[in-house]
Amino acid sequence: MFNSFHRYGALSFIALIAILLPLEVFAHGVDESTRNFLQNNTGVQIIPFLYIGAKHMVTGYDHLLFLVGVLFFLYKSRDVLLYVSMFTLGHSVTLLFGVVSDIQVNAYLIDAIIGLSVVYKGFDNLGGFKNTIGFTPNPKAAVLIFGLFHGFGLATKLQEFQLPTDGLIANLIAFNVGVELGQFSALAFILLLINFWRKHASFNRFATNTNCLLMSAGFMLIGFQLTGYFTS
Amino acid sequence: MQETNTQTTTTQQITLTNSKLIKYTLFSLVFAAITLVTVILPAEYNIDPTGAGKALGLTVFNIVTATATSDTSTKNTKDATETIEVLVPAGRGVEYKFIMEQYQKLTYEWITDGPALYFDLHGEPKGDTTGYFESYTITTSDEVKGSFTAPFSGSHGWYWKNTSDATVKVQLIVHGEYIEHGLK
Repeated sequence: MFNSFHRYGALSFIALIAILLPLEVFAHGVDESTRNFLQNNTGVQIIPFLYIGAKHMVTGYDHLLFLVGVLFFLYKSRDVLLYVSMFTLGHSVTLLFGVVSDIQVNAYLIDAIIGLSVVYKGFDNLGGFKNTIGFTPNPKAAVLIFGLFHGFGLATKLQEFQLPTDGLIANLIAFNVGVELGQFSALAFILLLINFWRKHASFNRFATNTNCLLMSAGFMLIGFQLTGYFTS
Repeated sequence: MQETNTQTTTTQQITLTNSKLIKYTLFSLVFAAITLVTVILPAEYNIDPTGAGKALGLTVFNIVTATATSDTSTKNTKDATETIEVLVPAGRGVEYKFIMEQYQKLTYEWITDGPALYFDLHGEPKGDTTGYFESYTITTSDEVKGSFTAPFSGSHGWYWKNTSDATVKVQLIVHGEYIEHGLK
């Protein structure tokens, strides 16, 4: 008993670390060769934009943390699909709208809000809203609203490059589809892990700790981005 | 407590007492603050109020990132003039290299923002593991103009050593053929 307690504890910890690990490696930006491509490309380039979108999502630990929070207590496929669609709808709207109408939002502030979304979901999973204000704000609406902010985050990343207007819309849609593909593959992985874990007693035992750590990771993102905002 | 609608009764949640909720929330906040101050901020921004980042050896990232102010460090440019700024921290040496094929030529010009620096312009053959290098120029100066043709494929460039107690900025202007360049 004690042994399995330890084993699953270690397992959950490793899973969390694995999610947090790419922090330094990918640094949530766009690497040099991608940057080069983005600034020099001309015309419609469906596949490359698909790839960049997918890569951004798969390596975007802040988006993934939020999804972990959203999916943590969802086990019906219909619910998963519903919530993920809300998130997709939210971020697609602002991604397309943000780039097309050239809305400039400070990347640090947007990323801080994305960090806040992680804190929100962690707190929500802990039953925090029920305890403090007596009810849980509509979780689907929350996912949709935070999805809008995540989309602005994606839009600001793309706008850092003066994208050529030639073929912009098609490329943007390709990027967006790529984001969804990346999200889909990341989701499959997250769901696999969570559903596997859910079958074990340790899931309930560590649910509180995991969401507490999730919240903490969100606070770290906020602190990290706000420091960037104030020092840049 | 009210359920928002009927189709999502599946979201089970953790039920905590108020004091436990506060405890967990405070813990997450404190844990985040400690990690930020001791690990993340030192590594990402070189902000290290406690000195823990330095003790952990995490501020090394910034010695590298702070020295590469040029954001064009790996671009495949031919026949274009590039200006690169290299910061050489006090009491340290910095190496800036260009990856070049054999017989590619680089014309260069560099100037420091103050004191003269000891430097070694040299090349290392591609794939060499013995530590062999060939020096083209070794001297101390605050300004040099010249050119060189790579005698072999590999990385070619400067080692600057700053013996003063202040950071020295080197402005390097290059024109020529190379595959990529960056700090080493």
